[in-house]
Amino acid sequence: MTTQPANPFEMVAYVLSRQIEDHMIVYVGTGLPMVAAILARKTHAPHITLVYESGGQDPIAGDMPWSVGDPFTWRKSPIIQEMAYSFAQCYNGYVDIAFLGFAQIDMYGNINTHMIGDDFLNPKARLTGSGGNNDLSSLTEKMVLVGLQTPEKFVKKVDFITSVGHLTGGNSRKEAGLLGQGPVAVVTNAGVYDFEPATKRMRVKSLHPGVSFDLAQLATGFELLRPEGEIPVTETPSADVLEILRKEVDPRGVFISFPPK
Amino acid sequence: MYNYNGEALKNLRIDDTSILDRLVDFESARKAHLTKDHSKRDKRMSLTEAIAEFVKDDDICTDSGFAYVRTPHQAYFEIMRQGKKNLQFIGSPNTNHSYMINFGVCRYSHNSYVGAEMRGTDRNYSRNLKEGKVKILSEWSHGSMAQGFKAAQLGMPGVFSKQLLGSDIVRYNPYVKVMQNPGRKDHDPVVFIPALYPDVTIIHVHAADRYGNARVYGPTVNDAALAAAARKVIITAEEIVPEIDIRYNNKGVIIPFMYVDAVVELPFGAVPGNMPGLYYWSRQWWEKFLRYGTLSEENLRSFMEYWIFDCKDQFDFVNKLGGAKWIAAARRLTKTVEYDNEDAGYDYSYEEYRPGHDTGIYY
Repeated sequence: MTTQPANPFEMVAYVLSRQIEDHMIVYVGTGLPMVAAILARKTHAPHITLVYESGGQDPIAGDMPWSVGDPFTWRKSPIIQEMAYSFAQCYNGYVDIAFLGFAQIDMYGNINTHMIGDDFLNPKARLTGSGGNNDLSSLTEKMVLVGLQTPEKFVKKVDFITSVGHLTGGNSRKEAGLLGQGPVAVVTNAGVYDFEPATKRMRVKSLHPGVSFDLAQLATGFELLRPEGEIPVTETPSADVLEILRKEVDPRGVFISFPPK
Repeated sequence: MYNYNGEALKNLRIDDTSILDRLVDFESARKAHLTKDHSKRDKRMSLTEAIAEFVKDDDICTDSGFAYVRTPHQAYFEIMRQGKKNLQFIGSPNTNHSYMINFGVCRYSHNSYVGAEMRGTDRNYSRNLKEGKVKILSEWSHGSMAQGFKAAQLGMPGVFSKQLLGSDIVRYNPYVKVMQNPGRKDHDPVVFIPALYPDVTIIHVHAADRYGNARVYGPTVNDAALAAAARKVIITAEEIVPEIDIRYNNKGVIIPFMYVDAVVELPFGAVPGNMPGLYYWSRQWWEKFLRYGTLSEENLRSFMEYWIFDCKDQFDFVNKLGGAKWIAAARRLTKTVEYDNEDAGYDYSYEEYRPGHDTGIYY
């Protein structure tokens, strides 16, 4: 029996999971980051600790949470933190990595989850607002950003800076007073990106099988930087990992079905 | 008297800043706390009485719990049924104030997060904002707002934060101020976040005694701080227990009686949200709210007509969800998710509400 190759969501979940190292404390939101964290725990990083915004941390294993407030996020947790204390753990250095989604992102990894349009009081579309997005991006040591790559989402200038990535590049994030390294990776359906160390501009790290640099650039509203030499192809999940993802992590395909359910 | 961020006032087009004052008016909150009846007395009353007496037009009201976890939805619905007007809402998250805008209950928003994560976006809030039916008075992140409430609970004028720096949120929040850390000589920007004092907070708990000592299980989110800060506090409780039970089982007691003005016995007071240990969300209710209810003004009105104005109390609501069968299913589900019931062989799957696919089942 041959295993179907990874669909775009499964690929994103897998690549995200590879950002997690064993023994890390991982701050997770709903959706693919949660899938990725659970996959990491079931594969290469069995000893990670999950922390959630509603206060749950270190829950025992269960099914896929419906929300970050779902009882699965604090299933038999030894302690459930108040919201202010939960984010304080990022400030105080007890969280290694966090994942954030976005409606728009720019070349410096600044994120917008507030609105689309140029008039705050009369936007084309009002979105959720920050939630914990700004808190995690301001405080967490390493951020990984995740979303679909289209020219509408990868824009020259975000309509509202909800969360600061590398601000205007260079040393500007630190100058603004923020903590941590900022975004270290952006994971999309097309590839994996990092930030060039001096300018802090988004740079291709690897592209998923079948995606050329030109195609990735076409899906991006700003100029992507190219790495030195040949662009690596993103490592794809093995049949074993895909089996775990499909049968154990998200067996009902809540987040990894493609097209989405 | 208050030193608001001028750029934010301009960006938000707030001309008369008096609308902002009460949220940071520590003196009036302290006075309200000093002058309320401090006696340890029986504070039980009906939900109708509590809302009528303690929630006033123009009040700053909170959204408590975590959007749909231990949130006093049934008390919010009573506020709507009583036709309160022009309230400000603040909370992290702030999901529930959206559907109150259409009825004139909520006029002002101190916003941190409106929506329900993966379930879909709240187009109702977007539409109301564009039509000028709600005015945003301040933008926050969850954590920075939590720090404002926590500062009030800690009894201090404010806190210095490392959140919000460099973002546009500070350009749309009149209350916060970017400053140099006064404790350092090197360049070290911080954000001053003032202590936040809402007028009224309603908190749904697992158990309270008749004086207002209140116990919760599961995430407490910002509720201990909100109870300490608010000028008026209403407790709705799944059950009222003898005081001795609170004394013997004080784990989870986060609210002392002196903060509390009213105690309401309100089983199923968090429906259609999740009540830890007792009942799970009605997932389909939230999906239908977001995927049908928020699509148009007509949809929202018909949805809320059915679920709120056509219900006199939480029991009518529970009957519409499915009555005793809903209660049993929601209890089994939440206890299984928490691993208080056996999960071997349990089927977590359910039929989502989708446009064109409405099973009419709410569990």
